[in-house]
Amino acid sequence: MRPYFEKMAPLGHALKPGQLKQTANNQAVFETAEAEIKADVERVRQAGFSTEKINARGQMTVWQRLDYLVDPDTWCPLHTLYNPAANDEGTTNVIDGLARISDRWAVVIGFDNKVMAGAWLAGQSENILRVTDLAKRLNLPLIWLVNCSGAKLPEQEKFYANRRGAGAPFFRHAELAQAGIPVLAGIYGTNPAGGGYQGISPTVLFAHKNGNIAVGGAGIVSGMAPKGHFDLEMAEGLIKKAKAFKTKPPGSVKTHYDETGFFRYVFEEEKDVLDGLKAYMADLPAYHPRFFRVAEPCDPAFPVEDIYRLLPMAPKRVYAFEEVLARLVDGGEHMEFRPGYGPEVYTGLCKIDGFPVACIGNRQGYLGKGYPEYADYPGFGGKLYRQGLIKMNEFVTLCGRDRMPIVWFQDTTGIDVGDAAEKAELLGLGQSLIYSIQQTDVPMMLVVLRKGTAAAHYVMGGPTANRHNAFTLGTAASEIYVMHGETAAVATYARRLVKEKDAGRALDEVVDRMNALADDYHDKSRPLFCAHNGLVDEIVAIRDLRRYLEAFAGSAYQNPTSICPQHQMILPRIVRG
Amino acid sequence: MPEEILAPLAGKIIQLNLEIGKAVEEDEEILVIEAMKMETPVFAPLSGTVKEVMVDEGDEVEEDQLLAVIDE
Repeated sequence: MRPYFEKMAPLGHALKPGQLKQTANNQAVFETAEAEIKADVERVRQAGFSTEKINARGQMTVWQRLDYLVDPDTWCPLHTLYNPAANDEGTTNVIDGLARISDRWAVVIGFDNKVMAGAWLAGQSENILRVTDLAKRLNLPLIWLVNCSGAKLPEQEKFYANRRGAGAPFFRHAELAQAGIPVLAGIYGTNPAGGGYQGISPTVLFAHKNGNIAVGGAGIVSGMAPKGHFDLEMAEGLIKKAKAFKTKPPGSVKTHYDETGFFRYVFEEEKDVLDGLKAYMADLPAYHPRFFRVAEPCDPAFPVEDIYRLLPMAPKRVYAFEEVLARLVDGGEHMEFRPGYGPEVYTGLCKIDGFPVACIGNRQGYLGKGYPEYADYPGFGGKLYRQGLIKMNEFVTLCGRDRMPIVWFQDTTGIDVGDAAEKAELLGLGQSLIYSIQQTDVPMMLVVLRKGTAAAHYVMGGPTANRHNAFTLGTAASEIYVMHGETAAVATYARRLVKEKDAGRALDEVVDRMNALADDYHDKSRPLFCAHNGLVDEIVAIRDLRRYLEAFAGSAYQNPTSICPQHQMILPRIVRG
Repeated sequence: MPEEILAPLAGKIIQLNLEIGKAVEEDEEILVIEAMKMETPVFAPLSGTVKEVMVDEGDEVEEDQLLAVIDE
């Protein structure tokens, strides 16, 4: 397929002096917003004890372990700000992301040993669920850095039980094993109870000499029979027992290497554990990239930093989606699928790091006279109409046939509404797209460039509506909500306004409520809110977007579970005609 | 050669950055039209001097309506 992919049609243009002049302010606003997000990320990195304190104990921090473990410049963090239970610690206490280790992509996750020695906190199991789903969707090995003191006991009711509670990761590890996905674990420190199962549930265990895993820790083993209360005599007894166990915690290397053999390897130094993981990673099966590449990798035609100027922070401003795409894909080249049909949506084939990838994105702005063809009002990009929905259904179906990973770019205000839209079958076509996506079974990622709104956020590869979304990224311009806050205020209070007016009452109170609701929508749709609550898996700086795309493409093609021979692909032929 | 600036869509002019006799640079934003809750910027097709401006901020315009003329 070299003639199709080696040199494709050019996309986008270099910025001109007038654009540079006009867009300087947008860049400044964008970078200020990114700085706010970066400050929040730094707060998570600094959570708990200082690095110096952990190092003084002879331990590395989770960040130092990750830094040593992963190949340089390949770390793509996810869920850094995820904290759905609003823990005081400001984190779910696991740090995770995609990264290459020994030249192979992996999903990597570690307990933050600076925060309560890596305790279970509320929201953590939801975080781990996302991570195990990611490994499963991309068919990547999962690498654990276990250092878990067990549950934060005073808050156990928030996370211990329930269908997706703190025990679910162990079942998830079993599920990965069932799917043939290895879980490798480096084990550090004291890992009692929940920490013990975190340690035992992976596939191969690499322990540090001071690491241990146990059904229960010293605190549990020394417990006494409940009396219904505590008194000083009991306290004295507990002190004696706890001291005895402190010197010899259960489940040490002596037990689980020498006796049970649960630990496959034991290492003297912390870094040796990581070297052991690296050596194993080098031996795991992975296709060489040349198996799937269709061209030599190359940079986009224009700097990714241009996007700071091209993607307006002002939510109502229109822009050219193709100009953004040209700065993210190899050589700024593409093959567009059905140009001219369904103009509100771009669908096409591009290359990322030499791999073929399908891209779908919302165009913005006026769509021209006579469109949508079923209505007497003008069509604007960002909205989805009949043709766009049909085109996406066709495109993703063919992507499934050609085993083409899909990158979605959302900036959508929703699906067109009203009687004309209903007659044009948009409700059915939206659900058809969800069905079409589900049928593909190819990995997908989503970038919410700006707006993710209403059902369009679902049907355009959103994480809510399919199992193939590996992860979702936001930008400092992202906002996600069921509808704009002002629209919601109108929907909620319009009838009330009529009622109050008819009754001759003052409208001030209702107007105040409308403003309050609109403000609330604004606050609960911002990038930081989206990150804290998991509406996205990470807010990414624009200049880092390309790195995530490379990670996605490399991961999707490392060990795909099904293959379309390049010369049997049909999409490039359909595009060429 | 004078270049006519036509409205690319129907809507309301919410921002006008044109003044007769003033210079504009190619691809500079010269006005913004709001329609269907979206703001569409219109860029100068060439560098030159503003010769005529036929509209004001707040005006409703039709698609293809003549808005201004720029002299090269």
